[in-house]
Amino acid sequence: MSDQPPLEDFLAEAEAFLDSHYARRAPEERSRFQWGEGSDEVRVFQEPDPLEEAEAMPRIRAWRAALWDAGLAWISGPKEYGGGGLPRSYDAAFTHLSRKFDVPGDAALTVSLGMIAPTILRHADDRQKGEYLPALYRGDLIACQLFSEPGAGSDLAAIRTRAIADGDRWFITGQKVWTSGAHLADVGEIICETAPGPRHHNLTAFLVDMHAPGVTVRPLRQMTGGAAFNEVFLDGVEVTDRARLGATGEGWRVALTTLSYERNAMGHSAFGGAGILSTERLMQLVRHAGVADDPVVRRAFGELVTELRVARYTQEVMAERARAGQSPGPEIALNKLALSANMAGLGEFVASVLGPRLIADTGEWGTYAWTSVVLGAPGYRLGGGSDEVLKNMIAERVLGLPRSS
Amino acid sequence: MSTRPDLALTGEHDELRSTVRQFLADTSPPATVRRVIESPEGFDRSSWRQMAEQLGLQALLIPERYQGLGQGAVEAHLVFEELGRALYPGPYFASAALATNALICSGDDNACLDLLPGIAAGSTIATVAVAEADGRWDDASAIRAMARRNRDGWVLDGSKAFVPNGQVADLFLVAARTDAGLSLFAVDSTDPGVQPRELESLDLTRRLAELSLAGASARLVGEDGGAPGVVAAMLDRALVALAAEGAGGAARCLEMSVDYAKQREQFGRPIGSFQAIAHRCVEMLQRVEFARAASRYAASCLAAGSGEFPVAARVAAAYCGRAYRWVATENIQVHGGIGFTWEHDAHLHYRRSWASETLLGSTDQHYLTIADRLGL
Repeated sequence: MSDQPPLEDFLAEAEAFLDSHYARRAPEERSRFQWGEGSDEVRVFQEPDPLEEAEAMPRIRAWRAALWDAGLAWISGPKEYGGGGLPRSYDAAFTHLSRKFDVPGDAALTVSLGMIAPTILRHADDRQKGEYLPALYRGDLIACQLFSEPGAGSDLAAIRTRAIADGDRWFITGQKVWTSGAHLADVGEIICETAPGPRHHNLTAFLVDMHAPGVTVRPLRQMTGGAAFNEVFLDGVEVTDRARLGATGEGWRVALTTLSYERNAMGHSAFGGAGILSTERLMQLVRHAGVADDPVVRRAFGELVTELRVARYTQEVMAERARAGQSPGPEIALNKLALSANMAGLGEFVASVLGPRLIADTGEWGTYAWTSVVLGAPGYRLGGGSDEVLKNMIAERVLGLPRSS
Repeated sequence: MSTRPDLALTGEHDELRSTVRQFLADTSPPATVRRVIESPEGFDRSSWRQMAEQLGLQALLIPERYQGLGQGAVEAHLVFEELGRALYPGPYFASAALATNALICSGDDNACLDLLPGIAAGSTIATVAVAEADGRWDDASAIRAMARRNRDGWVLDGSKAFVPNGQVADLFLVAARTDAGLSLFAVDSTDPGVQPRELESLDLTRRLAELSLAGASARLVGEDGGAPGVVAAMLDRALVALAAEGAGGAARCLEMSVDYAKQREQFGRPIGSFQAIAHRCVEMLQRVEFARAASRYAASCLAAGSGEFPVAARVAAAYCGRAYRWVATENIQVHGGIGFTWEHDAHLHYRRSWASETLLGSTDQHYLTIADRLGL
């Protein structure tokens, strides 16, 4: 492409933008974990304090808007919908660069930008793409995913939320559950039953206004004690046919697209840096607990690091394939299986390092906080498709094994 | 300077892989492997020569200055994956991974000029003799073999064990003790003071030997007392080669299991339609994909001169060693009774996987080394 700037020029411009809007982080602040400094929170799910979250959102939206105006909000997106039309490697390079600055994170937008926006790009019509994609990337709209129901978990195709057509309008009634960020969202990708059958051809996807009359969002408290998710009740919620995403009866295909992006996003969860899977943080934990000379602990540390690193190497190899133009297939779900196993392994490791300090809070910095890993790990085996459902899917679609009947 | 590993594969890489795969399918299919491992030497010399003459694989990693092809670790990774898939029984790992890397890592230009061209041409089969009766490759203090000077040069005494393909090697690179410390020596197999003896080996496709040295004439390779560093560098590189072999072997085991699970019927349906079998196959796939990525990542770190290599090498060794053994074990389980027979190839992979995971150091040792290298 003739109008594609060289990567160095692109990054120089991006750096100038960041410099004029945001402070630079001190090098140690972004890369090194300092024992005893700041919060000792071990964040497993996004379960922010509601007040802090409400305060943070305007700053996140302002960051997205500033990015949009600078042409950096959707670097690799198609130009006709406001994207930059550049290769994905430019995206990755910008993300890397922005870590040097004190910018608001995008974690609250993982569903919006990591799952719903790419689904819209793949399945929506031109008018919808023009209406939603710039608004999502600009942070004017935040999206959530309305899939699971109390009676449709692993068997997602058994969805009972109904959308009933009346002229060019639809009325949606039902209950959704495990909806991350519904309380922040402006729009929800919802899968509804629109015909009595046949299975997988009776569902339709819509983009529903989360502020519409008849939508009720309630926090759902999970076993960790926090509330990262919501229940969403829909009582005769009206949407126009213009909000239909994909053809009537094609909702299952739309849902599968979103789910594949979800597994990708989960497998890629940003635990690196000073996150809970950082080697540096784990080493400081071991030293602080006074067990760095224990060969049993050293062996377990080596094993955990091996599993975590191989998961990262695999993601990098798959990302390289994606850059080379091979779109990620169902094998991407292997990363999510690894993540849930590694979360469990991390829990076992910290238990062996901390002993009783993991089960009662003495007030000592950086110890009891690891309880969140133990409590969160079971959720990782379930979210984004349980391990068992993913294995069924991989067995059929990657290995070509016959369906289990 | 960029030291990030480059994970992109080019069309030339794809071509190298398919050329090697086709060559092995033609010259070393499973029936041939079966036949040659029953033979006295355990491999087929004519296909070894063809491998050198037609493909130049023995020359792959050897710099052009020493009449090699000067290819990098990523190319070697692809070749080792294919050799592992095919359970190639020739002395390739011994000659092209162990001995070649020992010479290159020694930095001894004269020794390389004299010895590497023969290895590159396939006319010299070389191997490395470091471990003794206790099987340790990484513990210089455990080595008893002694080197002394006489008027013609150096003379070695002692005994070595677990020497890969030692019974067919023409050239041994031997670690022995001098006044300066552990040192590396080249010993010719025709020397009357050298006596290899084949050991009964678990891995039928890679036999091990012991080596007795009684006044064997030897040539010092590298610095006197310089072997610990050379052996350590060689081990990291050889472990990555073994990791790639294991990833390839595991990939083959997975194929065997999946093919069988589609075709074998019990209770009136293919066994692959049972979740107990299907999920096991998915777990095998995960380890295969992760093992392939781990060994490639480590190879790419080596090729890029990345500071990540020392940790990545041991991560790959630990992961791939265990993954191959697990996948080879489950492959037998998926096959049921037929998988436990002598005629079925499942046990050849099973034997290779146990041997590969153990030969140069255990998985637990790799875990401890990772902790050391990360500075814990």
